[in-house]
Amino acid sequence: MATELIRIPGSDFQTEEMILNLGPQHPSTHGVLRVVLKIDGEVITAAQPDVGYLHRGTEKLAENRTYPQMLVISDRWDYLSAMSNNLIWCLAVEKLLQIEVPLRGDYLRVIMVELNRIASHLVFFGTYGIDIGAYTPFLHAFREREKILDLFEEVSGARMTYNYIRIGGVMADLPEDWIGKCRSFLEWIKPRFVEYDILLTENPIFKDRTQNIGIISKEDAISYAITGPNLRGCGISFDLRKDEPYCHYQDFKFDVPTGKQGDCWDRYWVRIQEMKESVKIVEQALDHLPTGVPNAKVPRIIRPPVGESYAQLEAPRGVLGIYCLSAGEDKPYRVHVRAPSFINLTILQKILVGMKLADVVAILGSIDIVLGEVDR
Amino acid sequence: MINYFKTIYQVSKALLQGMAVTGRWLFQPAITVQYPDEKLTPPERFRGTLVFDKETCTACNLCVKACPTACISLEPYVDPATQKRIAKVNWYQIDFGKCNYCRLCEEACPTKPIKSVRHSHDYEWSMKERSEMFVKWKRDPSPVIADTPKDTGTKAA
Repeated sequence: MATELIRIPGSDFQTEEMILNLGPQHPSTHGVLRVVLKIDGEVITAAQPDVGYLHRGTEKLAENRTYPQMLVISDRWDYLSAMSNNLIWCLAVEKLLQIEVPLRGDYLRVIMVELNRIASHLVFFGTYGIDIGAYTPFLHAFREREKILDLFEEVSGARMTYNYIRIGGVMADLPEDWIGKCRSFLEWIKPRFVEYDILLTENPIFKDRTQNIGIISKEDAISYAITGPNLRGCGISFDLRKDEPYCHYQDFKFDVPTGKQGDCWDRYWVRIQEMKESVKIVEQALDHLPTGVPNAKVPRIIRPPVGESYAQLEAPRGVLGIYCLSAGEDKPYRVHVRAPSFINLTILQKILVGMKLADVVAILGSIDIVLGEVDR
Repeated sequence: MINYFKTIYQVSKALLQGMAVTGRWLFQPAITVQYPDEKLTPPERFRGTLVFDKETCTACNLCVKACPTACISLEPYVDPATQKRIAKVNWYQIDFGKCNYCRLCEEACPTKPIKSVRHSHDYEWSMKERSEMFVKWKRDPSPVIADTPKDTGTKAA
């Protein structure tokens, strides 16, 4: 009785795992990020993000900068939302100095941070469209962002590195008829969200590319310490503006949008909704803008007492935290930045496994990283 | 089979809706500015290139200390006759390769009412070589000594 040789169809194909470098010079990695992908045909079997190409050592630089000087460096972490970076540095130093900022200062900070959140999410909206293959939303988003940058330019003198929020308050009060310009901008942007929904959100091609792609489960999101819109996209309602208010956020009425299953489309949708909530917050802040001076009295040379402080806030990309250790000198002894982009990026090695190669860019774009913050 | 045509219908409908949005903007005036021909006026607080007023500067070093990148350097003027420092600057140099355009130097400057070092509204500036980024202002001491020798004397006293 002869044994019968059973041939499995395709078993004589030469298949082997291939290693593919995505980046560091790839237009869809939003900067210099390298992802080492192991692919089996089209399916990804392992992914290893490689960061550090933009490392500038700002935590070390803080050790020989005085406290106001470090504010300039903080602009360069998350350059799409520099106001949040300014604010978190000021909150950490104000905690060390035990300074109370006047109400007007706090409201001005809220206005700036929320406008910056809109601008930052607009960049996400535009570039995510490009990642997927839609070019039109990009032009629409950057037109709106330009108007916000013009507002910022009028108030702070710069378009990206604002250096506006200062220790103890803000750089200067609002210029004349800035409030009117801001209001007309808010009225102008509201109908634009309807256009965005037509252009991208409800587009069947876009939905096919993003729905059920790159699903982050609630458990994974919590164990990887994901924060911001990525966490809320999974359906967990966690927002520091609600849960641990700073800068009188408890005065404002707004909702925290949450997604359903944590796929790329949910994360995208949460950001679009957040822009609408930010518009509401800015309107309320402009309506109830208190009079008075925006700045608290701050000593000329800032020399906080020996101690440590940790401050955190809800930046557009998640929880941004600063740990600041003072040795009683005019320079911090040690500064640590909890950068949301960096921590959100770690989930990439988990959710990319099992996905198709064509979805990598969609997933990477939906996490919305800024390499200036990842590498610091 | 029905699904197949349904998808075709939905996608083409979305495509037309998107084209409608684009088409509506086609008839709006352009929002871009043709840069070299048209120019926007920078706002009042615009942080352009730094300008320095070498006559009013008192060489107090506050801007040097305020600068986060240490791009400013200066030398106070020493009166050759008395070997004393007077509140004038000999030379003042800004390394624009390092400058952050952050306005900390302008805010630190104590000169009133116009600050000695301040941001202008200039933004069109290019250099070919790194050495051109060092911009040096040199105060010519001769007119002060020749014209008003009493002036420096009263300041020293």
